[in-house]
Amino acid sequence: MTWTRPWAATAARLVLGVVLVVAGALKLPDPAAAVRAVRAYRLLSEALVGPIAFGLPVVEIAIGLALLAGVFVRTAAIASAVLMVVFLAAVGSAWARGLQIDCGCFGGGGQVAAGRTAYPGEVARDVGLLLVALALARWPASRLALGGRPDTTYAETEFAHVR
Amino acid sequence: MSGESKRAAARQRIAAKRTAEAAARAAAERRRRTVIGGVVAGIVLIVVLVAVVVVQTHRTSASAGAAAPANTTGNGYVFAVGSADAPVTLDLYEDFQCPNCKALEDSTGSTINGLVTAGTVQVHYHGMAFLNTAQNGQYSTRALNAAAVVTNAAGPEAYKTFHDLLFANQPTEGGSGLTDDQLIAYAAQAGATGAAVEQGIRDLVYGDWVAQAEDQASKDGVTGTPTVFVDGTKLDDLTPDGLTAAVTAAQQ
Repeated sequence: MTWTRPWAATAARLVLGVVLVVAGALKLPDPAAAVRAVRAYRLLSEALVGPIAFGLPVVEIAIGLALLAGVFVRTAAIASAVLMVVFLAAVGSAWARGLQIDCGCFGGGGQVAAGRTAYPGEVARDVGLLLVALALARWPASRLALGGRPDTTYAETEFAHVR
Repeated sequence: MSGESKRAAARQRIAAKRTAEAAARAAAERRRRTVIGGVVAGIVLIVVLVAVVVVQTHRTSASAGAAAPANTTGNGYVFAVGSADAPVTLDLYEDFQCPNCKALEDSTGSTINGLVTAGTVQVHYHGMAFLNTAQNGQYSTRALNAAAVVTNAAGPEAYKTFHDLLFANQPTEGGSGLTDDQLIAYAAQAGATGAAVEQGIRDLVYGDWVAQAEDQASKDGVTGTPTVFVDGTKLDDLTPDGLTAAVTAAQQ
């Protein structure tokens, strides 16, 4: 228990970090598609669609890199949890309104042919990632981290050597 | 003896106090560094965020205003078929690769043609292109580009003929799409011939315009195909009866 939890936190950091960095990076090459993906949700006014479509990938990558490096882990975990809640609300509302769209979670997005939506899978994935993010926010101390509070990470490591 | 032990106890207390002070200083230093690190990271994030938003906005607006084909209306994204004096306007959003659009054309296409011939309806065809795959060689985009080339060269009536030919000969979804040669042959059948047409189809001269048309459809609130509006109201019942009823209602 004492040694598994930090390693589980490291695994959680890697999973969340890789997903966020990949999801962000895939949205950058085609900004027009990103705009269409955001607009397809029909939740935002046209003036907000662009900044959200272009800013979201940056935020995703920043949070993902912080998690991978292991700096500001609790802040990054809470931020990922907030992102997942926002994504769930957006996808859920699209589903509830019967919009035929792809979530655009990993680039692409926008309208899809009838019967080509994948809402259950998208919701399940986001719920899973939300749980991982919440657990990491509760227990952020992990191995292989650059930052973190020395009294919870480094001191424990030293203790382990002494014993 | 007792004085000795008192001094020892005092020394211990002082040492303990110093250790505690050192620990507090170290903790304060760590907090200070974390705060500075956090502020720096926050500033860097905001700068990057603003830079990316500016760059991406520039990238998307660069292709705006792409040359539109001649003989179109509505910002250059509409192929208008039928009399401009017709009392009812039918807006029809289709992707040439979309099987449900073919189904609509097969079931309700002749009803639409009848309404156009009678002068009741003017159809505004809006092209969309979102069913591109590597396997079909970006067929949705190639087909819509070819339709734009045909319209540019030979007008809306040729568009209508070309449109009907492409839906009648729609390639299976997940297949390889029609080749450029096939598109050129159908264009010729629709009345658009010549080197400019061939080159326009092969070189995707309206490629940017197709991307813009896709954006326009998204701005129009269209998130799937086929989507039909009768005088601006979305039509849910796409059967011949449903369309006729909606057009009749719109006339009153």
